[in-house]
Amino acid sequence: MSKDVFVFVELKEGTVRKVSFELLSKGKEITGHFSSTLYAVLMGHNVKEIAATVQPFSDKVIVIDNAGLADYRWDTYAGVFEGLLKKYSPYAILGGSTVTGKDLFPRLAARFNGAMVSDAVGIDFHDSGIKIKKPLFGGKVTSWLTCSEDSVIFLTFRPNSFGVEKGSQNGEIIEEQFDVVKDPKVNTVSTEKHVSEKVDLQEADFIICGGRGMKGPEHFQVLEEIAGIMGGRVGASRAVVDSKWREYEDQVGKSGKTVSPKLYIGCGISGALHHTMGMDTSKVIVAINKDPNAPIFHYADYGIVDDAFAVLPVLKEALKKTKEEI
Amino acid sequence: MNIMVFIKQVADTEARIIIKNDKKSLEIENKYNINFFDEFAVEEAIRIKEKQKDVQVTVCSIGPQKAIEALRTAIAMGADRAFLLDNSKVAIDDPLVIARILAAFAAKEGFDMILCGRQAIDDESANVGAMASELLGIPHVSAVLKMELLDGNTAKLENEIEGGRGIFEVKLPALFTTQKGLNEPRVPLITGVMKAMKAAIPVIDPFTLDIPQETIATGASKVTILSYEPPQERPPVKIIEGETPEEKVKNLVKALKEDAKVL
Ligand SMILES: Cc1cc2nc3c(=O)[nH]c(=O)nc-3n(C[C@H](O)[C@H](O)[C@H](O)COP(=O)(O)OP(=O)(O)OC[C@H]3O[C@@H](n4cnc5c(N)ncnc54)[C@H](O)[C@@H]3O)c2cc1C
Ligand SMILES: Nc1ncnc2c1ncn2[C@@H]1O[C@H](COP(=O)(O)O)[C@@H](O)[C@H]1O
Repeated sequence: MSKDVFVFVELKEGTVRKVSFELLSKGKEITGHFSSTLYAVLMGHNVKEIAATVQPFSDKVIVIDNAGLADYRWDTYAGVFEGLLKKYSPYAILGGSTVTGKDLFPRLAARFNGAMVSDAVGIDFHDSGIKIKKPLFGGKVTSWLTCSEDSVIFLTFRPNSFGVEKGSQNGEIIEEQFDVVKDPKVNTVSTEKHVSEKVDLQEADFIICGGRGMKGPEHFQVLEEIAGIMGGRVGASRAVVDSKWREYEDQVGKSGKTVSPKLYIGCGISGALHHTMGMDTSKVIVAINKDPNAPIFHYADYGIVDDAFAVLPVLKEALKKTKEEI
Repeated sequence: MNIMVFIKQVADTEARIIIKNDKKSLEIENKYNINFFDEFAVEEAIRIKEKQKDVQVTVCSIGPQKAIEALRTAIAMGADRAFLLDNSKVAIDDPLVIARILAAFAAKEGFDMILCGRQAIDDESANVGAMASELLGIPHVSAVLKMELLDGNTAKLENEIEGGRGIFEVKLPALFTTQKGLNEPRVPLITGVMKAMKAAIPVIDPFTLDIPQETIATGASKVTILSYEPPQERPPVKIIEGETPEEKVKNLVKALKEDAKVL
């Protein structure tokens, strides 16, 4: 059996999401090791031009352009994948552990009776195949898993699990056509996307999180400004979301989102386990809290013990200055 | 109308977890709960039952004997019946095996709607719902935030889609996974708790269900645990020195630039 790897390319408002470049970079390492072929799989409507952006990162780019694929639905996308997987029989297929990836991959894995590991954070070689790294119990334990190779392997990875390498290839473009069939039992009434310039919370390199110590919704403005300067996003603790200072989609933690940015700054957050479980794989953690005994300092790399209201305006100016220097 | 709810008993987030010497097994402190997202599923089923006549709510869980506690909690909340599917001889590390058993059980009992959590907070997989619906050949909608029954056989749902919200109308039978925001799960009343204490909860051997044995037995696992490791420890926090906030920020930015190299 081949050791070819598929990467499911996800789009956001017509551009390729960062997680897809991360997976293509890692995919290249895998296919390099096995001397096999890396395929980027791009589907949607009017996506032919987008193929150029993934060409440098893949040996081949499969493009499926169809008006029926404009909006993601599991039925249409799984149907197209079914055709693709039958035709190409890849060894493994990689996707992001995103809202879409979580919806599509298990459905496909069941259809193909495949091995499925979701929400993974790493991959390595093992015997003649691969092994997958996946945190369990909110990061209290890390597991390494192997997958049976007698059927396709389905893997989804958390955004920010891998770095993006420089792409220097010129992947061959293959256009494919498959019938796009909707399940008549599911009718899309409407879809509404918040059009925003902001990056996705889970994909953001920089997150500044506010907790109950921020005292009220109006004080999140300075966090928004800092996030804006850094090209990142504002997150929140559950206490803040429960108080309706911020939307649920901003919640970081066990019952919110799991994030893994390069730099996380927590302001006025105590560091309850439920919160830290959602952010403790961040590369660098900074905590700003006036209580030197706050548990968040057990997770942080750097801590400032002070009043957030005194620190944040100064921090904003300092970060602005560093950005201007670059 | 028959509503089937899948619930998983999971270790409490506060529970201590120790990796045993063989690095292949875990010792989990005896603190367990119904999975956070599954409570929304139980609650929603009960609300439908309260609004409509002739609704039966069945909950089931694959787990060890202990998981009966979670099933009792669901009965105390208002579910009609509960079943435990004994997990001792099945390949529990493979999500597809779990989905296969739950799907076979649901098919045997019959259902118009299946509700389950968006994801389990121990494995954070979010696999079982979509897998079970594929195996049953029914539609699914993930991460449901609002739900309404239009008539006997159509549900209208609002859910979380990538970067926004979607509204769908789905013909039953179908499976929906529940997300925080759908409802506020109730705290069982004492009368419910009394009823739950007395409820008989049958334990079912999955091998008696209509599924090929070799697809669920321990050897069937397509996913195998090689080892468990403790998470990488972070070095102790460096508290940034300084007399004033200005000084502290200056030192922090310096550390982030020169030390951590993230700026
Ligand atoms: C099942 C379950 C799931 C949960 N899921 C989540 C989740 O997903 N995400 C989550 O975040 N929580 C979650 N929680 C809640 C969690 O346990 C904590 O209650 C919550 O994280 C606390 O939020 P906080 O840190 O903002 O508030 P607090 O714990 O109240 O902390 C406020 C902090 O601000 C500091 N402070 C106050 N004033 C200032 C100031 N002027 N300057 C600097 N610091 C200041 C205080 O010293 C304190 O440390 C969950 C709980 C349960 C039971
Ligand atoms: N062992 C189990 N028994 C019953 N339901 C389960 C089990 N495992 C998972 N589920 C259901 O499937 C959902 C998703 O689980 P998971 O795919 O493990 O994240 C959970 O929220 C439960 O509703």
